[in-house]
Formats: sequence, C-alpha cells, structure tokens
Amino acid sequence: MSPAVTEQIRKEYGAVHAALPASVIDPGRRDEAIEKLCAQGLPATREENWRYTNLRVLEHARFAPVETHGPAMPSLPQVPPGFVRYVFVDGLLRSGAPASGPDLTVRSLRSSGPSSSDAWLPCPDFPEARLALLNEAFATDALSIEVRANAAPAGIELIFVATAGAQAGASYPRVRVALEAGAELTVLERHVGAPEAASLVNSAVRVDVGENARLTHYRLQQCAARAAWFDTLTAQLSAHARYHLLAVGTGALTARSTAHVRLAGAGAELALSAAALADHQQSHDMYALSEHVAPNTRTIETFRGIASGRARVAFNGKIVVRERACGTDSRQSLRGLLDGPQAEIDVRPQLEIYTDEVRCSHGATAGKLDENMLFYLLSRGIAPQTAHHLLKWAFLEDVVAKIERTELRRQIERDLAEQMSGAAALMELL
Amino acid sequence: MLKIENLHATVDGKEILKGLDLEVPAGEVHAVMGPNGSGKSTLAYVLAGRPGYAVTAGRISFQGHDLLALAPEERARAGVFLGFQYPVEIPGVNNVYLLKAAINAARKQRGEPEVDAFEFLTLVREKMRLMRMDESMLSRGVNEGFSGGEKKRNEILQMLVLEPRLAVLDETDSGLDIDALKIVAHGVNTLRAPERSLVLVTHYQRLLEHIVPDRVHVLVNGRIVRSGDRTLALELERRGYDWLISEAA
Repeated sequence: MSPAVTEQIRKEYGAVHAALPASVIDPGRRDEAIEKLCAQGLPATREENWRYTNLRVLEHARFAPVETHGPAMPSLPQVPPGFVRYVFVDGLLRSGAPASGPDLTVRSLRSSGPSSSDAWLPCPDFPEARLALLNEAFATDALSIEVRANAAPAGIELIFVATAGAQAGASYPRVRVALEAGAELTVLERHVGAPEAASLVNSAVRVDVGENARLTHYRLQQCAARAAWFDTLTAQLSAHARYHLLAVGTGALTARSTAHVRLAGAGAELALSAAALADHQQSHDMYALSEHVAPNTRTIETFRGIASGRARVAFNGKIVVRERACGTDSRQSLRGLLDGPQAEIDVRPQLEIYTDEVRCSHGATAGKLDENMLFYLLSRGIAPQTAHHLLKWAFLEDVVAKIERTELRRQIERDLAEQMSGAAALMELL
Repeated sequence: MLKIENLHATVDGKEILKGLDLEVPAGEVHAVMGPNGSGKSTLAYVLAGRPGYAVTAGRISFQGHDLLALAPEERARAGVFLGFQYPVEIPGVNNVYLLKAAINAARKQRGEPEVDAFEFLTLVREKMRLMRMDESMLSRGVNEGFSGGEKKRNEILQMLVLEPRLAVLDETDSGLDIDALKIVAHGVNTLRAPERSLVLVTHYQRLLEHIVPDRVHVLVNGRIVRSGDRTLALELERRGYDWLISEAA
C-alpha cells in the first residue's frame, strides 16, 4: 500500500480526531494507533498473508467515520429464540438496551464510558492485525459484553448494518466479549448492509474466554454486493476454555477476515469452522492464526469454500505450537470447490512447531464437483442444476451442520440456499 | 421394453462394446454375465447415460422411444433405474431428501402432483422394513458411512420406492454376505411384475439362485456371444468363461 494512503489516513485523522469519543477509546491510544499504523503501513498484496486480499478498495477510500447514514435500511431477520438483539448502524448503536444484571453486562462505551475494570487490551502486536489499528484510531462506538463467573448460558445477537456508501466514510464495528471462569455465552454476530451501498466496514473484535468458560461465536458476513468488509478478531483462551468460532461469509465484493486465537491456558480448545460462498467477482479471504502457547491445547479447524463465476476464495490457516505447548492436538481440514473455469481457490494450511510430542494433522484440497456424485444424482432423476446446487450445499454442510441451534441453522441454511442463484428447487428440499 | 441393436460404445477412446444386441421383453428378468472386462458395467452405464461413455453406433429403444436421445435424468424419470456397483457416498445430502427429490422428479414428468409427505414416509418405511434397514439411516447422508452391504440395500430401497419400468442392477451381489444377498434378492423379487423388466449384470451365478432369470446372456469382448435359459448360468458356474472366450476368438 502506497505511502500516499497512510498520509491520507493521517490527514483524515487529523481532521476528525478531536470529535472522536474519548469514552470509546482514549485519545492517546488513538494517536498511538495512528502512529503505529503509519509506521508499519497498510497491508499490501506483496505480503504473503495478504496476497489473496483485494486491497485496491483501500487506495481510494475515505477513512473518517461515516457521519451521514445511507437512505435505506435492509430488512433484518427475525431474532432467533433465546437471543437479545443489539443493532448498530454504520458503527453506532441504534437499538438494544444496556444490560447490567448479576450475570451479564452489555454496554456501549460511547454512552456509558469505560469503567475502571475495563480491560480492553490494545491491539495485539502481530503484523496481520494492522487493520485493527485503523479501527482503534477511528472507532465511534464499542460494545462491551462481560459475563460473570459461572453465569447461566445466555445469547446475544449483534447486527452491524452498513447503510452509507464508501464516499461517506467508513464504519468501525468494535466489540469486546469477556467471559469469566465457568461462564457460558453464545454470540451471533451479523454483518449486513443496505443493498445498494458500497460501504467500507472495518471491524475489530476482542474475545477473552476465562477458565472453563465456553463461548460459541457465530459470525455471518452478509454485507451488500458492493461492500468491502475487513475484520480483525483476536482471542485469548484461558485454561480449559472452549471457543467455537463459526464463520459463514457470503456477502461483500471484498471480504477479508483476520483471526488470531491464542490458546494461553492448558487444555484450552478452539473449534474454528468457516465457510465461504463467493460468486461473480467476489473475493473472500480469511487468515486464521491459532497459537498454541500452553500444553494440551487443541485446535480443530474446518474450512469449506466455494468459488463460482470469477470469484476468488482463499483460506490461510496457520497453526503455531510454542515451546511449552507439548501435547498439542491440531487438525485442519481445508477444502475448496471450484465451480467454474474462471474461479479461484487458494487453501493453505501452515504449521510451525517448536516442541515435541504434538499431534498435528492437516488436509487441504481444491477441486471441482465430484463427477461420480453428480451422475448418481442425475441417475435418480434430479435435474442437473439442482444436483449441482445440492452438491455445493452438501459441501458447505460440513461447516453449517456444526451450528448447534436448530432455528439458527435453518435460517443460515435458507440464506445460503438463497445465495445460490436459481436454487429454488433446493429450497423445496429443506 | 428394451431393445439394443448393434451397440458400439467407447470409453476414453477405447471401444468396449462392439456390436451388442439384446432384447428384454416386458415382465422378464435377464441376466448379463461375463468375465472381467467384457463390458458389463459399460453396458449398464450406457443404459443410464453416464457422461464419458460414448455410443459410436447402434440403437437402444426403450418402450419404443430412442433412449440415447434422453439425458441421464430424463431416462430416470422415464423409468430407467441403475443400481450402482459402487454406490457413491454423498455426505450432506440426506437420504430422505434424495428419495423425495427422485420420486417427485418422476411424478412431475408424469404430470402428477408431488408426493404427500405422509404417504411418502409410509411408503419409505414399508420398503425399509422389507430391506431390513434401520430408520435412522434416513436422516444420514446418502450412503455416508454405510458398509458395502448397506449401500447395496440402499440401492434396492431406492429402486423399490421409485418403482422403475426397467431396472439395471450392476453387480448388486458383489460384496454381499449370504444373509444380505437374500434380503437384496427378496427386495428385487417383490418388484417382478408383468409391466417391468430387470437386467441383472453379474459375474457369478450365485445371485441367480435367488433371483431366477428368464434368460441368461453371456457378454464377451463387447458382444453377446451366447444366450440361453437359466441352465446356461449353471453351465458357466461349472465350466467358467474360458471356453466361450476361445469360441468368441
């Protein structure tokens, strides 16, 4: 990325920084973030871990936060049973009451300000997290979700709606989820947009899962067709914490998700399941770093991506096993499906192991639809297009079937079926 | 029902069927036997319309229509069923979805309304009992994690639910133990009817003890070299295929 862009960022920051809410992020930290970002520069495709990301959109972007919302709001899906909904529009909390019960606190930092107990850590210092610095500098609101020790299971739904076009500025969703020991929470995070809006969204999510706590985190990227969505998620897992991160991406013209999960406590477990469905000229790219720091930690990573038309789908899953992390167990199953001669799939497992006595397995494939399966379905009278959709569907099921909440899984299945053009016949089967 | 004349077919440019003639009247069960590599499976795939199996000469008429003019899914809807030698596993596509989609595709073709959900499940359950299959299999992926025998039973289950006009069963007996063979044979026998024809492609005559054929044909080097009644199968069991191979040469 050219220095001109970082200069542009600095200039825009200079113009707006005085108006950015100090309660969300301390001005000093915002300044630091800008300095760090400008020193490091924005990511560029010549860097290995960004080579499949479409970064062109950042070259002419307006980085200051959106001030004027777009004219249209998309219709929102029904609130799944058992969830409390919070809606953000262009980065600002629009609806959803703060909660401050004995088990759970949910608050917008813009309206409530940080408390002394606020432990929102600065951006982690890893090079792929640079876009989180951009979020840290410009964020206009942040939602903090804190669950007390041994709290009963709860469900929170977060919807981030982008309505403004990129010329109106960017939006910066920002969330922190912290579970104390033994707590249990399900977070459903949706990113959607007004259909015509070519929005620029750059979100940052920080997750802390305490000892023996359990977080299930569903992330659905369903942004509008012309939107650009960037995202940085960092998570820290304490001893015997369990984190199930399940991401399904279907929207946006350009989507890049960066995740860094640190398994810091012994016996911590990460199940990372991701699915991407891209068509036309969409570009979906995910980089997931799972860092095993403590002994007997475990990562199970599943990726299924389908690229149709001229779309490009990439998944780069890196597992790092540090010196102390003996007894690590990691499994990666990364598969891409090429659905068209001009589509592109890049799946890449990476392992970096600094200790003995680990069990790390990985499998990565990229291929076309299985001809044998296709013929089997045709031989039963299924129309070719339906057979095609059915097999694409089945391919993603490896991830979708992991959604434990039936209602939610159904909703996501319907969304995916709708996403597959001409999948009416498929819908009848569901 | 089925009339094949002078059928030539190639796979990857290599000619496998070299002028095959076969006629199966309605209501009859015919066995096509032959040594490995004689073209038995190729015949089954050509009948089902598998891509990559190119017909270079000859005709296949099915109920008076040109079968070769139909796409694979059209053949299925017209009542042609292929029981696969190696049924594929399709994880993520539910067995019950597949059965329902298949049955509705055929109904649509006939201008009939979609199957009623209750009627459908009743039918499927009845056929599953016949095939001694556990109902839990319905909600599993197509053939996913099934043993060889379960896969074959699932093929027959699909056939029983779809009630085809012409069923071509490709080595349905391979990989079955004797109990499973009896169950499969019983399933097939229940489908014998005056308006239906069956073609059993097999290597051994063992299956034919349980499904007694009206005619037996021997396929060698891409052609039917001998046809006879069921005693021909017994003769093959006794003498092997070598004498026919030398005769054909």
